[in-house]
Amino acid sequence: MADETKTLTRERIALGDLLRHADDKQKLPAAVPPKTVPVEPLVPQPGQQTLAVGQRVTRPDSRNHGLGQTKYIDDLTLPGMLYAKIKRAGIASARIVRIDTSAAEAVPGVMAVITASDIPVNSFGPTFQDQPVLVGDIVRHAGDGVAAVAAVTEQIAAEAVEKIVIEFEPLPAVFDPLEAMQEHAYKIHAPNSNIYASKVIRKGDVEKGFAQSDRIFEGQFTTQMVEHVPLEPHAAIADWDANDRLTVWATIGRITLARADLARTLTLPMSRVRLIGTIVGGNFGGKNEISQEPALALLSKKAGRPVKGVFTRSDEFISTTTRHPFVMNYKTGVTKDGRILARTVRLVLDGGAYCSWSATTLGKACILASGPYNIENLISEAFVVYTNKTMTGAMRGFGAPQVCFAYESQMDDIAKALGIDPIEIRLRNAFGEGAISPTGQSLHSVVVKESLLTAAERFGWEERP
Amino acid sequence: MIDVTVAVNGSVRRAAVPPETTLLTLLRDNFQLTGTKLGCDVGDCGACTVIVDGMAVNACLMLAAQTDGRQVLTIEGLATKDKLHPLQKVFEESGALQCGFCGPGMLLSAKALLDENPEPSVYEIRDALAGNLCRCTGYSKIVEAVQDAARMRQTPQAHEAHQLEMHGQDHG
Amino acid sequence: MKPFEYVAARDSQHAVALLAEYGSGAKVLAGGTDLLADLKAAQHSPRVMVDISQAADLKGISLTDDGLRLGALVTHTEIMRSSVIRDYCPALIEAAHTIGAVQTRNLGTIGGNLVTCVPSMDSGPTLLALDAQITVVDLGGQRRMPLSALFVGPRKTSLADGQLLVDIVIPKASVGKPAAFLKFGLRKGQALALVNAAASLWVDGERTTFVAPRIALGAVAPTVIRAPKAEAFLAGLTISPEAMDKAGRIAASEAKPISDFRASADYRRDLIAVLVKRALATAYERSTAQKEHVQ
Repeated sequence: MADETKTLTRERIALGDLLRHADDKQKLPAAVPPKTVPVEPLVPQPGQQTLAVGQRVTRPDSRNHGLGQTKYIDDLTLPGMLYAKIKRAGIASARIVRIDTSAAEAVPGVMAVITASDIPVNSFGPTFQDQPVLVGDIVRHAGDGVAAVAAVTEQIAAEAVEKIVIEFEPLPAVFDPLEAMQEHAYKIHAPNSNIYASKVIRKGDVEKGFAQSDRIFEGQFTTQMVEHVPLEPHAAIADWDANDRLTVWATIGRITLARADLARTLTLPMSRVRLIGTIVGGNFGGKNEISQEPALALLSKKAGRPVKGVFTRSDEFISTTTRHPFVMNYKTGVTKDGRILARTVRLVLDGGAYCSWSATTLGKACILASGPYNIENLISEAFVVYTNKTMTGAMRGFGAPQVCFAYESQMDDIAKALGIDPIEIRLRNAFGEGAISPTGQSLHSVVVKESLLTAAERFGWEERP
Repeated sequence: MIDVTVAVNGSVRRAAVPPETTLLTLLRDNFQLTGTKLGCDVGDCGACTVIVDGMAVNACLMLAAQTDGRQVLTIEGLATKDKLHPLQKVFEESGALQCGFCGPGMLLSAKALLDENPEPSVYEIRDALAGNLCRCTGYSKIVEAVQDAARMRQTPQAHEAHQLEMHGQDHG
Repeated sequence: MKPFEYVAARDSQHAVALLAEYGSGAKVLAGGTDLLADLKAAQHSPRVMVDISQAADLKGISLTDDGLRLGALVTHTEIMRSSVIRDYCPALIEAAHTIGAVQTRNLGTIGGNLVTCVPSMDSGPTLLALDAQITVVDLGGQRRMPLSALFVGPRKTSLADGQLLVDIVIPKASVGKPAAFLKFGLRKGQALALVNAAASLWVDGERTTFVAPRIALGAVAPTVIRAPKAEAFLAGLTISPEAMDKAGRIAASEAKPISDFRASADYRRDLIAVLVKRALATAYERSTAQKEHVQ
């Protein structure tokens, strides 16, 4: 076999002397230390444009990005480092009857295997600690991690993961949030209801407002699940020192929260947990909580070596948080000249298998659901519901994009039905300086109308065909 | 194991690797050239773009064995110790790099384009970069940066004038 | 990927010998843009990877006595840059340009695209619409057959173990035949076709009659298919937009599109009608610049 490979007849590069790879011979550009960015205090007054707006600011880190010298986690190696892979359930709803990791443990090069029973406190989450690090009993979505392996190469770890045998007892599953809200629906976190958080905002008297309206518009608007797809997958490295102190390098944006979660799941005092939030290749909200880090830490402890875990792109889609799909029902009463007199909003958030940042998303969405419009009579109610799908969590906008789609779509529907220009109808309803938000906050630096008019002018709204 | 001898950024490198090793793994693990990134491993995202014998390719879709006797240019080979490549300079100045992860692949695809087509249209730039995904910038600044780099290579004066027009005085 | 052995073939003869030696344990590696991506998710690797990418006799684009020959290893980029193809079959360039992105086109080969045999392949429809032939070689020698005989089903060709696709030949009678290719995907780049379509036609001296019309469709049946009823409808018919429109609708009825997460069958049928009509129109426009058809 070895001879066969020498049958290539194309020219080989003349070897010459193999170069010693001294830095100057390689001509590797030196990483440039960051520039000192001058800090000048700017205290803008409300309504005043700050001097910073419109200025071009160079990013000092662009130098190393452009050189390919930025060190993301997967670019880091520690001596003796092992590579971890996680076995995903692959079934949306099930009870684990049996896990057999013996075949995986026997693969040469595998240094540690862990399951749920190895995790001191197997729950975490930014609001409710309803998510296990690795599932011990009930699988709630297909991307749930069930076991983790650390091996001397990624290839061996991947091979070992395939050899883990799991016996599942399939359970009922529910994938639609409206269905999951029903009394009779399968309870994903039994005995609790699938509705795991809710919020109601009430203002004025909607019945009176509707009664006074010339026209009432109703519509249902839905949005889909979206994955952040950061170019850099989730990655982390865990390492212990001989004083039982844990160091974790992670792509996580919320360092203190992550440190607390690590301390909690591993029953360590926080003083023994050092979390280094590294430069990240895109977060967008999806890297704001721990995922594999406690598992990597336990693998590292068991193996006595540093352990790196990098999610595959497939892991990114099935096992990391996503944007909540929303089902939104809007009922809006208007006068014939398009002024909103009353609005009721009902939001149902598809809350995935675990809470993650859903409670925060719910809160924001509910407050913003009525839009930047003066509405005296309002009820906004919102529910977030478990389903047997990938976790839904933080993603840029945090609930705002979904409701914006709904209230602006309906505004266009209303404008069209009443024969009013879409910009005009918004100007008639938009917040102004001192407007009161749905939650009673008095708003300042309000430039909704000015922005709309400036944008309309720049886009050439009047000239549109 | 397969012996691979390949010229990377002008230096001859050698490694003995399992046959299923990709060029991406060879560069990152064997040669410690971690500038080339792993984003998807299946040739969809372009983060692993390198230039082999003058062609932009996905390093994750070439076997290391297939590069024996060939020339590979990675992001580490674009600049010299003292001077940035024009593309690196304009990307840095234009805000075309945010998290930076798509940067190496994007820069090499742009270089491959400009080496062949020194005055590309916007369409041609978008077409050449269609295999490089970016989640941060929305692409506009990247396209502008490539146009600016093209301009810079034609006439450095035109580039200076353009920079002044776009950015005013240097704030950095 | 899971481990495999690797061996590089010098030329097609060597490749055939290696394939015979390793039998069903071998996989052929050309551009690798489909094969390696698939292997990363696969349960098993082949025992041996036979790398044909440096086999010089499988490369090259040339006009021969038989017609226009493309070696199986011709890449999509090479097709896009070929002046011969630009002169005699620009529709092939249109098709090549819709495949993936620059990186995949630099490595991906026309032979690989045909042999991977996904129903949505972008190189198939134009070649079918030009009555392309292929050459297949094995230890027993080489054979020429119609391209259509290659396609059996999704990811299934008629090639047996030990057989290698060597080249694709557009026969003399089709060299210079006006043709067009259109693809509709959810994006303009790096997208699979929801539907793709190619049409070719000669015209009579007055440019008023369809002569030898051919229509081929992709992504709407288990393999790339012709639309014989639409072709029969057009043959000898007076050329008009209405005729092209009707041909599109007939072609749509001949296809068997499925509904999946990308599109419904109904939507695909609508697309077929539109793409076929447009491809016919473009092919007709090209008939004004019809190159001397090589006798």
